[in-house]
Amino acid sequence: MATFNIETAQNVEISKKIPCEKPLLEQLEIMERYTAVHREHLGASKEKREAACLQVLYPTLFRHIQEGDLIAGRLDFLPIGFGCVTSVGGVGHYCVFRKLKMFRAQLPELEHARVDAMYDYWRDHDLKTAYNKETLQEGILGMFIDTTYPMIATARLSGMMLDYPTLLSLGIGGMRKRITEKLTQDPNNEFLQAGLSCLDIFVSSARHLRADAAAQMANASAERIKDLEVIISSLEHIEEQAPETFHQALQLFWLYALLAGVINYGRLDDFLGPFLAKDLEEGRLSEEEAYRYVRSLWTLIENRRTTVNGRIIVGGRGRKYPKEADMFLHLAMRVAKECRYVEPQFTLRVDKDTSEQIWDEALDALGAGATYPTIYNDEVEVPAVAYGMRLDEKAAEQYVPFGCTEFVIQGQSSGTPNICINLLKILTIFMNGGIDPEDGVRKDGGVEIKPLSKYKSFEEFYDGYKRLLDFYLDLSAKAQYHSYEVMNSHVAFLFTSLLMDDCIERGKALLDGGIRYLGGTNETYGNINTSDSLVAIKELVFDKKKYTLDQLQQALLANFEGYEELRHDCLACDKYGNDLDSADSMANDLYEFVAKGVRDRGIAIGMQYFLIVISNNQLNTEWGLNTAASPDGRLRGMYMNPANNPQGGADKSGPTAMLNSLAKFDARYHAGSVQNIKFTPSMFNNHREIIKSLFKTYFERGGCHIMVTVVDSGVLEDAVEHPEKYPNLIVRVAGFSAVFVDLSPEIQQELLSRVLYDERKSLC
Amino acid sequence: MMSANPYANLSLRVMSVQRFSLHDGPGIRTTVFLQGCPLHCPWCSNPESQPMHPVQRHKRDKCSGCGKCTSRCSKGAITHGEDGFPHFDRTRCIGCGECEQACPNEAIAISGKTMTVSEIMEIVKRDKDYYRNSGGGVTFSGGEVFMQPEGLVTLLEASKAEGLHTAIETCGQTSAEWLQRAEPLTDLFLYDIKHSNSEVLQHTTGGNLDRIVKNLKLLGSKGKAIVRIPCIPGFNLDEATIRGIFHLALQCEVEQVHLLPYHNLGADKYAQLAKEYAYTCESMRNEELEPYAEMGRAMGLSVQIGG
Repeated sequence: MATFNIETAQNVEISKKIPCEKPLLEQLEIMERYTAVHREHLGASKEKREAACLQVLYPTLFRHIQEGDLIAGRLDFLPIGFGCVTSVGGVGHYCVFRKLKMFRAQLPELEHARVDAMYDYWRDHDLKTAYNKETLQEGILGMFIDTTYPMIATARLSGMMLDYPTLLSLGIGGMRKRITEKLTQDPNNEFLQAGLSCLDIFVSSARHLRADAAAQMANASAERIKDLEVIISSLEHIEEQAPETFHQALQLFWLYALLAGVINYGRLDDFLGPFLAKDLEEGRLSEEEAYRYVRSLWTLIENRRTTVNGRIIVGGRGRKYPKEADMFLHLAMRVAKECRYVEPQFTLRVDKDTSEQIWDEALDALGAGATYPTIYNDEVEVPAVAYGMRLDEKAAEQYVPFGCTEFVIQGQSSGTPNICINLLKILTIFMNGGIDPEDGVRKDGGVEIKPLSKYKSFEEFYDGYKRLLDFYLDLSAKAQYHSYEVMNSHVAFLFTSLLMDDCIERGKALLDGGIRYLGGTNETYGNINTSDSLVAIKELVFDKKKYTLDQLQQALLANFEGYEELRHDCLACDKYGNDLDSADSMANDLYEFVAKGVRDRGIAIGMQYFLIVISNNQLNTEWGLNTAASPDGRLRGMYMNPANNPQGGADKSGPTAMLNSLAKFDARYHAGSVQNIKFTPSMFNNHREIIKSLFKTYFERGGCHIMVTVVDSGVLEDAVEHPEKYPNLIVRVAGFSAVFVDLSPEIQQELLSRVLYDERKSLC
Repeated sequence: MMSANPYANLSLRVMSVQRFSLHDGPGIRTTVFLQGCPLHCPWCSNPESQPMHPVQRHKRDKCSGCGKCTSRCSKGAITHGEDGFPHFDRTRCIGCGECEQACPNEAIAISGKTMTVSEIMEIVKRDKDYYRNSGGGVTFSGGEVFMQPEGLVTLLEASKAEGLHTAIETCGQTSAEWLQRAEPLTDLFLYDIKHSNSEVLQHTTGGNLDRIVKNLKLLGSKGKAIVRIPCIPGFNLDEATIRGIFHLALQCEVEQVHLLPYHNLGADKYAQLAKEYAYTCESMRNEELEPYAEMGRAMGLSVQIGG
């Protein structure tokens, strides 16, 4: 077992959370109550324990309906509680020790002992700590997010997108009926029993919110009264019945998503569109009212501040109600353009039938600087998902990206990325005889590594590196799978399980054999730095024989100080992103080795799929800080390349060349790879038809995705100097958007390093 | 396809190949800038392309004075000056590019390197799909493309063999014979007329208006030419001159004219070549040319501002 600090920050948190509205002592009491109930149920089944604990939290943790909210439901989170993901609360029965310490510091000293008692209890019962204790390995496998390790692992259940179509068609009453029927066949099934308790929690939460809305009527304006009346009536309706109106559907969907603790929302256009269309058609709702509701939903999602999640997906293949869905899509497009929030991550799937109008709306929103929608190409992704996840195309049509891009099948699969691997750090360890040059710690996992002078050909060298990679890839599949085992031994994720195929049918929680497709993902980092490094080694050491491997390694250990010419030679070697066969084929070779290696291991261990994602939040920069200098010319501590884009500034041949490079990876072996591109407004907005054909051609050539930042040259530089002038400047980081001035200086520099495509003029 | 072309190994002097060019004809294009120009327009934004021989630009702000270029040059074309910077004897330079590679700071850029037709086409072909979808293609520019006429025609043939839309940017100062050889292989001529007065043109740029206009007449009737006027304050930007150029266009049966607003984006290059830049004015905004465009439209021309 590795030593680890349980107070380490475990997720990316750029957007500032809204503080809990309850007084500190009340928060303390809730956590104590939760802890007590958990303790009392230690001997009970995980399902019963979870249901009992959830009853402590809900509806207690609901905030008051806020002025302006047109849909009810905002939740607070405490340092102790229950959840699925790190960004809202924690995972399973959790204690976020770092936040509990901060909480303690705010309390009068008299109360400190109460917190300490809980701290001690949760040291032995926090799910993630239990996983870490069993799984982490000194030097080899660290906890999220300890960047001194070449690979990190966690237990979480990210990216679940529920079967809302079923929820909306059955309603809570219909769900109850379905579970009860199953129970008659299997009366002692604790999962199904606990499922019914969850529906009771839903009902009490709806009533709680209804009472809050009613209480607010007294002091409300005439206009606000109308809104509150709609909220009250919808809440009353959805307690039992299936929704009939757009508002009822929104309210049911939203309240359930909150209680399930999920932070990605799925294909809203397809499951909400029919309600919207019907209301509009029958004159119950005007388009402006519908706009207000959707905008309110956007605000509620933004206010959850998950930084890298909040996916809403529209468009694409496999929608049941394309015509009605498009009505929602157009409305959402307008909201995304006008809100300019960093969340929700508004995601557009396109295919060959996507209308010009939708393309134009998307480009308008991007051109206005919204960074949304981020665009996925179904013509490539659907067959790729089918192959990668081993599904038929019909099932694959229901793929949805969550978080920074990872795919799941809506309502049918898990895809949580519980492993991240730094390919470049592993190369620097390999080149240094198994010892990380950054801290002198051996990280070879017992894999035999020959001295550099013994490698007589590039192939031999590359093969040696691959053997070390093999060790890590083996470990990655085991650690991912084990995260499911550990989570399953502690929790059932009841609310989520109820809306995932085929949990009710099988009477099992999702990780207990309930979920139809048990999948997972592995985030790879430094992909391009590594392949560019291999190109440089091949050319300078083995082809041109200009340096020996030892000379190169000496230069790397010196961070190129005193080796400027050698570094210059490294930088001058071909780089990925310029449509050069040399660099691009190396990148592709490494990609396929890693991606197929991960996929094969996932299948072997018993998962439906375990696929790499080249997604990248801001970890490319943070991990770069702890990664030694590399043969691609990158200095020690410098950011690594974002996602599968080139290293910032390495692509010098314009956007067509970069996009051609990007399109070369075969999408079948990954579960999401994101591609950044940055334009000035004049380039993007004055040449709209050209930009459109640029993107479409890239897609036609096999490009799977594109995300766009439109920002004027000099603006980001100025925002570094004068952050106060740019409170609303949004940029696409990699798999998420952020307010630029909220990012750390290192991440700002990484963004600045990326090529900005501007108009170039020639006049002879 | 290319291997069938007997001229695939023909070499040209090239200033640069720029992909995703948006101002040298319709759609997404790759522009091949060839080295060498018969004119010497003082506003030229690619002054390094004017001589036929290779030219190195030296960016003093990036130079650390390390001397690596001096020691690398096998022709003795670079000496280390007393000011601590390299000095270039441009008559000795053969354009091998060694100094550019030796420089650790990217302070040297060579224009006029040698590329074969197949090397050029290898790059051009990579964006074929983008050309097709955007109505783009390949543009040959310069310098002046007709300074390397044989290479140009070979490039055009190779492009046509690939089914590409082809455009040429030219100042028209060439022989009618080469122009007529290029014409059937070229879909669009972007044809510069810089002045309507032959003496002024001759004096400032070295251009021969009579020849330029005669050549344009050969193209005009084919409907393939667009006249481009670089609008240079103090040189041609007055009503009479622009009107005169419009008349010439009409005489040559050309219907479309582009007015290109003056910009100073090439100014830095003059310092890098140790030359004086003749202009101090700011880059123009498109709107400033609107009255001239209106004048042209009133004369029956189709006028666009910007390329």
